[in-house]
Amino acid sequence: MTPLTADFMLSSLGEVGSTILAVASAIALLELVLWVVFGKILKHRLALPIMLITPAAVGICILVIYPMLYELKLAFSNMSLYRFKNPQFGPQYGWANIVRIFTEPVLKQTGFFKVLGRTVVWTLVQISFHVLGGLALALLLNKKIHLKGLYRTILVLPWAVPQIVAVLAWRGEFNFEYGYINVLLGKIGVGPVNWKMDPFWNFVAVNITNIWLGIPFMMVTLLGGLQSIDSTYYEAADIDGANAWYKFRNVTLPLLKPVLTPAVVLGLIWTFNNFNVPFFINENELESSDILVTALFRAAFEYNTYGFAAMFAFVILFILLGMTLVYMKVSDFRPVAKKVMIAAEEA
Amino acid sequence: MKKLLAIMLVALFAVGAVSAQKVANPTKIQLWTQEGQADGALQYVQALAKAYSSVDSKVTIEVVQKDTEALREDFQTASLAGNAPELLWTVSDHAGPFTLAELIQPVDSFAKLSDFVESVVIGGKTWGVPISSGNHLMLMYNKDFVKTAPKDTDEMIAVGKSLIGKVQAPLVFNFTEPFWLAPWIGGFGGRVFGADGKTPTLNTKAMSDALQFLYDLKSTYKIMPAEADYNIMDTLFKEGKAAMIINGDWALGEYQKTLGAKFAVAPIPMVKATGKYPAPYTSGKYFMVADGVKGDKLTAVKGFIAFATNNANQLDMVKTLKRLPALKAALEDTSIASDPILKGSSAQMAVGTPMPVVFEMRAIWDAMKPELINVLSGSKTAVAAAKDMQSAAEAGIKAMK
Repeated sequence: MTPLTADFMLSSLGEVGSTILAVASAIALLELVLWVVFGKILKHRLALPIMLITPAAVGICILVIYPMLYELKLAFSNMSLYRFKNPQFGPQYGWANIVRIFTEPVLKQTGFFKVLGRTVVWTLVQISFHVLGGLALALLLNKKIHLKGLYRTILVLPWAVPQIVAVLAWRGEFNFEYGYINVLLGKIGVGPVNWKMDPFWNFVAVNITNIWLGIPFMMVTLLGGLQSIDSTYYEAADIDGANAWYKFRNVTLPLLKPVLTPAVVLGLIWTFNNFNVPFFINENELESSDILVTALFRAAFEYNTYGFAAMFAFVILFILLGMTLVYMKVSDFRPVAKKVMIAAEEA
Repeated sequence: MKKLLAIMLVALFAVGAVSAQKVANPTKIQLWTQEGQADGALQYVQALAKAYSSVDSKVTIEVVQKDTEALREDFQTASLAGNAPELLWTVSDHAGPFTLAELIQPVDSFAKLSDFVESVVIGGKTWGVPISSGNHLMLMYNKDFVKTAPKDTDEMIAVGKSLIGKVQAPLVFNFTEPFWLAPWIGGFGGRVFGADGKTPTLNTKAMSDALQFLYDLKSTYKIMPAEADYNIMDTLFKEGKAAMIINGDWALGEYQKTLGAKFAVAPIPMVKATGKYPAPYTSGKYFMVADGVKGDKLTAVKGFIAFATNNANQLDMVKTLKRLPALKAALEDTSIASDPILKGSSAQMAVGTPMPVVFEMRAIWDAMKPELINVLSGSKTAVAAAKDMQSAAEAGIKAMK
């Protein structure tokens, strides 16, 4: 690792600064052209909106749309290290990639459906813990308790730490010899666990890390939802003689739904696509801890099968799209969103 | 600073010896290296690059450090984007994927290669100018615990068992990486490829015997810790908590600095059951030149290669990093024969085997790694692991195509 000397910082800032300067200059030039064309020559009434939207649109085209289109092109190719500079493109290569995804191992020995099953288990376990843990903590923080601000700050810390730093710190804690977890287990008389080499415990380690990382987001989101519930509902329920469980089930949960649904959908997507935790905690590259996105990474960057990996990425995209649509349908998400919009318009 | 001054002095003497052409215009080249900072090798490369400005003042060399795997991946990506660095200072097995993807150019005309140890030759062309030779594993021990190096594996086990309770780890090595398995495959009479150099031969008795032997070292004789990756083994040995370690020549300089006179080196002990010496992979570090580099940039690249591999700098590298040089003239220097550490390293290299550089080796490494871990964690038998290694390697090679 390069030491953080003044020279190093200056040269890094110089490199970043020159890139920022180049981007800013390009945007300024673009705005100037738009202003001249739409504002001065055409005297278009939408000149200002066009000028405001165009830089973002250009950015999205360069950073999202072009890579997606290039990926789609790659998905219909046989590009690999054997055909790195001169790959062949065509529907037959796309079809061959699809067939390979579902009939051959996507990792060294594990097939697609086994990895998909593990990914689903991983996602469901994570979402369950995140929602239950986050909701429990949010309910506690929603009560009138002493030092609430301090508790909230401490509980949000895992979310505030950069994910990769947190993951690498956890990886160190799973060390067999020096890890704090095994030290703690030793103190209570339980033998040390081989977190990095045992397939089952490695998967458990990956899950523990992500549960720790994921609960704060859910807690903060749900706490916001809880605080927005009007207290008159609870007062009315109290007058009707409702007990705590009844109030939770019939007042809190339904009114939390508009917040809970997008949070769960986002959580599903993030967890399903979580790369950092399963990749970095699984230091020894155990196939038993790989999920779809880490398998995809290995296909693309370890075996360099770019065409196959691109098609694999689209398969994952469609799975996620399907899951999201089903969840939105089941949870009646659209009408709620629509109601909110109507209410906003009326207000 | 001292390192830079030393290299500058060497550079001054070497200026006359370097007959390479100089660039016509100010030229900047980028050099990617996988040398790390811990053993001082990155600093050595940086100092060397800086010192080259005394040979050709118009050349600026920017040194970028990357981990070995990151260097391979990033070089491929950068090449695809048309933004590759001009020069690489890297390991031989990168030549496999890079030549396959046509990302580097042959270096036959860049140096008088007959003056060097064997280089990376694929398809009749040479793809790397050797910088150092070796990069091989060997037995290193702390004389506080081990007076003389064990000659065979039985002796090593006996020494290890006698040290249980006296030292945290009688023997330690990185058993999460198959590079540390490779010597034992050779020691039990096996090879990872068949005669064609491309067909995996992992499901063999030699492989299962080697895996079983490693399992026994850890679980039956209990002379190794329950878990050891590179950082753990390195820390244990440097802190005097491990009596013996199997590590590579890149660590020699640092260990000697840390342990001083207590540090000693020997070949990995002969496998008693077969009478063969474990054969670690040997390779070294090489300069590789990106495809498409030409004009002043190529002149600068050639000039720097000539500068970095001249006799004076090769001997300076021996002194600074305790690595065996690639230049034959430097290899014969008395400073190597008179240094017990380098002599031990040289003795180990003599029984080593050149590391395969074909791209298929990627699938071999990937197939061996999880199975090695499975065996050592006790979740798979050695025989089953060897069988699964073979099928994984075959599937990997098929997948890569």
